[in-house]
Order: sequence, then C-alpha cells, then structure tokens
Amino acid sequence: MTSTPAAAAAPGIQRDAIRSYPGFLWKALGVATNGTWLFYGWMTLLTAIALVGANAWAVQVRDGMIVTNMSDHVSWGLYIANFTFCVGLAAGGVMMVIPAYLYDDEEMHGLVIIGEAVAVAAIIMSTLSVVVDLGRPDRFWHLIPGIGKFNWPMSMLTWDIIVLNGYLVINLHIVGYLLYMKYLGRKPNPNWYVPFVFLSIIWAISIHTVTAFLYCGLGGRPFWNTSLLAPRFLASAFVSGPAFILLVLRVLRMTTGWQWSPRPAQTLIQIIRVAMSINLLMLASELFTLFYTGSGHAAAARYLFFGSHGANGLVAWIWTAIALNLIGTVLFFQPAALERSWLRIAACLCCIVGIWIEKGMGLVIPGFIPSTLHEVVEYAPSMTEWKITTGILAFGLLVLTLLVKLIAAVELKQISQPKGSGTTEAQA
Amino acid sequence: MDRESHTNSGPFLLVLAVLLVLQGCSEPIDNSVESVAANSTLEPLFATVIREPPVPHGVRAVAPNGEEVSLQCNACHSVRAHNLKSASAVDLDEFHQGMHYQHGSLTCVSCHQPDDGYSSLRLADGTSIAFFESIQLCGQCHGPQLRDYEHGAHGGMTGYWDLTRGGRERNHCLHCHDAHKPAYADFQPVAPPRDRFAPANHHAESSEAFHATSGLGDSHHE
Amino acid sequence: MNNLNSMPELPILNDQPTGRRSFLKACGATLGLAAWATALRPLTEWTEDLNVDEFLQKHYRELTADQKQAVFKRLEAETKENYGADVHITDSQPIPGVQFAYALNLSICIGCRKCAEACHIENNHDRTTNNSYIRVFEMQMGGIDFEKGNATYDHPVPQPGKFYMPVQCQQCENPPCVTACPIEATWQEDDGIVVVDYNWCIGCRYCEAACPYHARRFNWEKPEIPAEEINPQQGYLSNRIRPQGVMEKCTFCLHRTREGRMPACLEACPTGARVFGNVLDPDSEIRWVIENKRTFVLKEELGTKPRFYYFFDE
Ligand code: SF4
Ligand code: SF4
Repeated sequence: MTSTPAAAAAPGIQRDAIRSYPGFLWKALGVATNGTWLFYGWMTLLTAIALVGANAWAVQVRDGMIVTNMSDHVSWGLYIANFTFCVGLAAGGVMMVIPAYLYDDEEMHGLVIIGEAVAVAAIIMSTLSVVVDLGRPDRFWHLIPGIGKFNWPMSMLTWDIIVLNGYLVINLHIVGYLLYMKYLGRKPNPNWYVPFVFLSIIWAISIHTVTAFLYCGLGGRPFWNTSLLAPRFLASAFVSGPAFILLVLRVLRMTTGWQWSPRPAQTLIQIIRVAMSINLLMLASELFTLFYTGSGHAAAARYLFFGSHGANGLVAWIWTAIALNLIGTVLFFQPAALERSWLRIAACLCCIVGIWIEKGMGLVIPGFIPSTLHEVVEYAPSMTEWKITTGILAFGLLVLTLLVKLIAAVELKQISQPKGSGTTEAQA
Repeated sequence: MDRESHTNSGPFLLVLAVLLVLQGCSEPIDNSVESVAANSTLEPLFATVIREPPVPHGVRAVAPNGEEVSLQCNACHSVRAHNLKSASAVDLDEFHQGMHYQHGSLTCVSCHQPDDGYSSLRLADGTSIAFFESIQLCGQCHGPQLRDYEHGAHGGMTGYWDLTRGGRERNHCLHCHDAHKPAYADFQPVAPPRDRFAPANHHAESSEAFHATSGLGDSHHE
Repeated sequence: MNNLNSMPELPILNDQPTGRRSFLKACGATLGLAAWATALRPLTEWTEDLNVDEFLQKHYRELTADQKQAVFKRLEAETKENYGADVHITDSQPIPGVQFAYALNLSICIGCRKCAEACHIENNHDRTTNNSYIRVFEMQMGGIDFEKGNATYDHPVPQPGKFYMPVQCQQCENPPCVTACPIEATWQEDDGIVVVDYNWCIGCRYCEAACPYHARRFNWEKPEIPAEEINPQQGYLSNRIRPQGVMEKCTFCLHRTREGRMPACLEACPTGARVFGNVLDPDSEIRWVIENKRTFVLKEELGTKPRFYYFFDE
C-alpha cells in the first residue's frame, strides 16, 4: 500500500501497528471476560445451551444420524433449514453497508461494523449447521481444495463453501481492521477497507444466491426448482438481516453508553418495508402459479399449506410464518415503527421468526414431501436436532455478543492504544 | 451351428439349448431365433438350459400287489375310446378327478395327442411332441409371449448375461403357468419395507373405487 | 461501565482491584473447559472404532494397485472383527465395450418384491430396516401416476386394476447426483454404473436430494447383519458392508455383472420381467427390447437419460 501518502510516509507506524497487535488482542480478551453480572449470566446461559448442543452432536456422531428424525425420504431437516436462514442473516448483515457506502450515508458509517459483526456470527452459525449435518465429520478434510477432492465448478455445494468462507474472511478483515484502527486512534485508510466493503456487498448477494442455487438447481424437486427462489431468498434476507441488526442496536443502546441518532435505524426500516413487500409479492406470484395451474408440481405446496393424505405436519408452521410476516409488515408500516418504540421491536421479532420458518422449515422440508416418487413421509425434528440447532444459535449469539462488546468498548474508548507506547515498549 | 453345447446340468435339469428346442418350430420363429442367437463375438457361447418343468411323468397308482407304481397315460388311453369333444374337467373321472380346467374353450385334444394314447402333446398340424417341449405348443396361440421368451424378455432366468463367460438357466412356461389353468394365481408378496417413518399415502380403498368407475378393466396403459 | 484502560495490562490474571473476581474467572474457565470435555466425550468412544489408515485413505481413483490391496485387506479384517464373518473384497473393473442397461416389463411384473428381497440379501443391507435399493410401487391402471402409487402394500398380488412398478437407481447417463457431490465421492464408471466410494463420502446427502428417483440410501446407523447372513463375495464399490454415515445405492450388482453374471434382482424375478445386458451389443436381449418394444424412461423431461427402461407388452 505504498500508493497512499499516509502509508508511504510512515513505514514505522505500520511496524508499530503490528507490534501493538498482541496488546490489542490481550485487551480484547479482557473485554470479553469482564462485564456486569448480567453479562456473566447471559454468557453462562449461552455457554450452557451450547454445551447441551455439543453433547447432543457428539452423541449423534457416535450413534449415527439415526438420532435425528431425518429419513431417506426427508434427508435434510432442521439443520439445513437453519443453515438457510443463517446465510440470509449473513447476507442481510451488509444491509447497513449498502446505504452507508453506495449512497454515502455518513451517519451509517459508524454502525456498519455492527452489520459486519452480525454477518460474521451468522456465517459461523451457517457453517456449524452444515458441519452437524454431515454423516462423517471426520472426513471434513475431503472438502479442502488441494488436499481433498473439490468437485468445483460442478457442485453447487463447493460454490457455497467458497462464497461462505470468502465472506467470512472479508467480513473478519473489515471488522478487525476498522476496530484495530479505532483502537490505535488512527483514521482507517480507505484503501485498506473500502474495496473490501464493496466486495462484501457483491459477495453478500452471492452467498444467498448460491445458497438458493443449491436448491433450485435440483430438477427432481419441483418445489425448489423455480427461478424465483434466489430473488425470494434475497428479498427475505433484506428483511431478516436489518431486523436483526435493529434488535442488536437496541440491546447495545440499552446496555452500553453508545448513542447515535435515530436516522440509521430509520433507513433500515425503509429497506425492510420495500424488501418485505417484494418478498410477499413474490410469494404470492409463486403460489398463484402453483395453485392456479394445479399441476402435479403443486403437490408439495398443497402439503405445505393444507396438508395431503391426512398428513399436515407443516400446516401450522407455514400459517404461523405467514401470519407473523404479515403482522410484521403491517407493524413496520406504522409510523410508530420509525420511532424507538416497542412496536418496532415486535415487528422485528415477527419478521425474524416468520422468515426463519418460511426459509427453513417452510422451504427445505416441503422440497422432500412428497418424495420424488410421491410418497408422503412426514418430518418433525427430534430432540437431538433441537438441542444441536439451539446450541448453534447460542454459540452464534455468544460470538456476536463478544464481537459487539468489543466493538462498543473500542467505540466508547474503553480500550485504546496506551499513549506513548509503540516504538519502544513491547506489549505483553 | 458351430457352438459348443456346454453341459453343466444337475440331475434335476434337462439339458437342452433353447436353440434345439426351437429347431422344431415353424419357419418364421426359427428366423428370429437366428438373429438373436448370432453373437457379435466369435467366442464360443455357453449354453442356455431350460429347467425341467414341474410336470408329472405319469400318474401314481397302487398295483394289486400293494406296490406304488407310476402309470403312463397310454396304460389306460391306448385301450379306451377317445372322447375328442371333451373340453371340461367335470366329466373326467379316475385319475383326472379334482382337476381345474380354465383355459379358454380348448378341448383336451387341442394339446394332447390321442394318436399315441395321450402320451405326448400334439401341435396344431398333428405333429407329436414330448411334454417337455410344450413351449412350442403354447407358442402356437401365445405368439407374442413366445417371441418375448425367445428374446429374453419373458420368463425368469439365472446365470450369465454374457454367454461367452457362462451359461444360463431359464424357466419353462410351466414354472409359472399351469397348462390347465394358466392365469397367474395371486399370492402374498415379500414383506414391505420397514421404513422408520411410513408413507402416509396409501391408496388401498380409493383405488378400488377408481377401478370400479374407470371401466379400464385389465387393459394396460399403452 | 468499567473503564478497562485504568486496569493493568493483564486483565485476567493481574486483575488486582477485584482479585475475587479473577479467582472466580479462573474457576469458571477451568469448569468451562471441563464441561466442554465432558460434553464431547461420546466422540472419544466413537473414535475408538476409527483408525489412522482409514482416516488418511485416499480417493478410490487415486489408490495404486498396492494401496488398494492394503485397503481391501484392512476392510476384510475389520469385517471379521466387527461382524465375525470372513469375506472377500474384490474390485471388478468395467468391461471394455460394455455399457449396461436394464429394462423392466410392466405387463408381467406381479409385484412379488422378490427382487427387493434378493437385493437386500445380495447387498448386505441392514437387517433391522429391511433396506433394499428397490422399491416396488403398486400403481393404478390408467396412468403412471406415483401419487396414486403405494410402496407399502401388503396384500396378495397381483391385484386387479393394478400394475407394479419397481424403482431403483436408473444409472442416469447424466446423473444429477454425481454433479451434486461436492467431493467426487460418487461418479459414473465407464460401463455407466454410478458408484460411491463409501470411504470417501462425507455424508452430506446432497446427492440424495438431487436424485429424482429416490434411489439413494443413507446409513443412518451402523448396519446390523448376523455373520451367517453376510454375503461374503463383496465388491469394494458395491455390496461390501457400508460404514455408518455414508451414502449407498444400487450398482447393478457390479461385482456380479462385471463378471458376466446377471444382477441379483433379475435372477430373483420369477416372471422374467427384468431384462439386462450390454446395450452396445446389437444382438443382446436388452437391445432387442429397446428396439422392438415401446419403452419409456421415468421423468424423461428432466434430461437425466436413465439407462433403466420400462415397457408394456402390447
Ligand atoms: S437414479 Fe438417482 S442415484 Fe441413480 S444415477 Fe440417477 S440421479 Fe444418481
Ligand atoms: S452424501 Fe456422499 S456421495 Fe452424496 S453428495 Fe454427499 S459426499 Fe457425495
């Protein structure tokens, strides 16, 4: 990076930046392990849930996937459902980024890092969701390009592995860089992160598109085999992501002294309003095509919405999702949603849960019911699957809590590079 | 016909290449056999053997000295008058009692040869053939089935698809079809799969209703 | 809010102002680690069954002849140890100039499930699930509508008004399962058979989602078979006992068919509804069927190009 005057002028500063990095990490560890009793309680709770999940997973690896309720008819279940949602959340994380950089919304800049942190946590959750779905996690190395055998570019799953890991690296870089610069009290060098921010915007679209391609590329599963799937995924991600960020911001504002104007949240709500409307419109058009033509392809949708052959395991799920999505949308369109109201929180929760069901249980499971040979075999997650999935969510929240706590600490100058340290003083 | 007749039969087998069986057939069938039998490779082919069908070699009776004997058909039929019109099992007596006959409107002598005391079968042109060779006899009416049989598309078999590596054993018509009542009798199938989560869509009842109203009977889709 | 800048540089260990807190933290950390170790303990029970050679084994197609022999020896020994059976693992290769195809005569199939049973026995399937690569559907006359089909019928067959449709792997010429697999654990061999390397598969089940014919089966747990019921003639890519957590599928019994023999399902079929052979041989039975019968394939519109044909007698 010799092209910028700042960097060229001060190679010494760069060296110092590297030198003081261990100190930064050490202090970050301090932040991570210090807090109020509420913080300790919260972290203990999340750890306990994650432990239960880890134990359930270990048992699953030992005894086989028989401890899940998946079968050869419904061969993916709650794990992959949760995976799909988490990828959406990760993609939605960059929603803060788009207005901040594409439209140069200055006020958003400070908060962008929160969105990136959400993306990092969500990617970790999606990756874990896939790992626990593997029958042979010990053979994980077969997936590593170079050592294993990577069926790229044919397999959509390899694309997904690439884009998810790439996205994780990009976001870790942006978060880490911005945070560290703030810690050092220096102005971030745009050359070091703005290109990555734009990359992450494109990349966010790609992770959810590729995840949609995972499903819609399968000709044998008519319920998924629709070109509308990727746009629908994106639209719903643009709702769940910002809604989740709104919740995080609220928690941050209540537990730290961090203050900001209501503008960024309002921008997010505008995004949600548009995205949710598009999402519902696309859902309606999908349903019209399915039910009006009434072809055999509607069998899965019929099962999903109304049940068939006396089997109706998903009916309650999907109508709950639709109700929550509609209520959430209506709430978001209330003027009160633009203020810091409880109504906004309720709207966010409705949309998050609604989309979690719609993109998860409501999308992944009906792809298998009826089966490719039209057998209606139902699926409801087993206790093990719930434990593991909840464990993953808890672990993701744990990571997010730590990240956000660190961000807030740096932002509020609770930790920073000690004055005078640097060239001479070795840290830790 | 320079192919080797490989004989690896057990005692329960009657060794006979399909080819040999079919050599007695009428001309057109013979031609089609040629085309099937010709193999693109020049390697010698192993034989295809037809399993001996479950047919009696006579009827069992008790001799005056109390010994059990097996009687040939002509033991009685060579001395009795032939009833050439008989087409039903009900007016048969002695050894034929209890026989079920349900095979169109054929008379006994449509298939059985009265000229040698019913000890052989009779083709439509009057030629006598051995009981074992009944495949030709059946094929007189059931041409498509015989054609499919010759082309390996009807009738169970075991052994090698690649006749340059090993031979084949084939079922006889009579393994599945009782000559007197050839319709395949229904029976209990092998147990269904034990799925952990059973499919919800069983159509046992609705199908009956459909069948009653559709009037499709036994005709096939194509 | 703590101001951490006022604290010493070692926030955990040298946490003077709140020494009690730092003690608690150390306890918490220890407890936490212990808890994780306990939670994950089942993993150590599981790894007892694994070994380094298996862990490091390369993809089937990258094994040299010697390595293959070593692998087969190891697998034979493992089968002896785990199942108490002496088995022989072979590695039949595709025959040059042979492409397999299968045809099934729906007019004479009587739905007896003898083929499914033969598959179960031949391929060393798990006894508890009664697994088989073949699922026989009782279908309604008047169409080929699986929605009106039933694979779990348990009444005398054949029923009037019904026909029977066994479905197994169609050995697609354009197999979506192979495209889907992220690690080439499943591929198509030169004779058209789609195989799985059970020692390479990671069990993601993407191929099972991709298959339009419900042809793939997953080993949800370790298969159970009594030693005396194990078929000792085993192929590495076909009927050897599969490990837990991997995918399996019909291989047209390649350990038999590549030796020139008929597949087990064909031999079990009492009616001769099944026709198998080399589609490249113009004089083969299978060619005669394809050329002379009005055959069709399942879900032709998907472009999978099955090598499994169905036909009716006229
Ligand atoms: S039928 Fe299914 S498993 Fe078999 S080759 Fe086709 S896609 Fe693959
Ligand atoms: S389950 Fe195995 S064979 Fe199937 S896609 Fe995954 S790794 Fe490949």
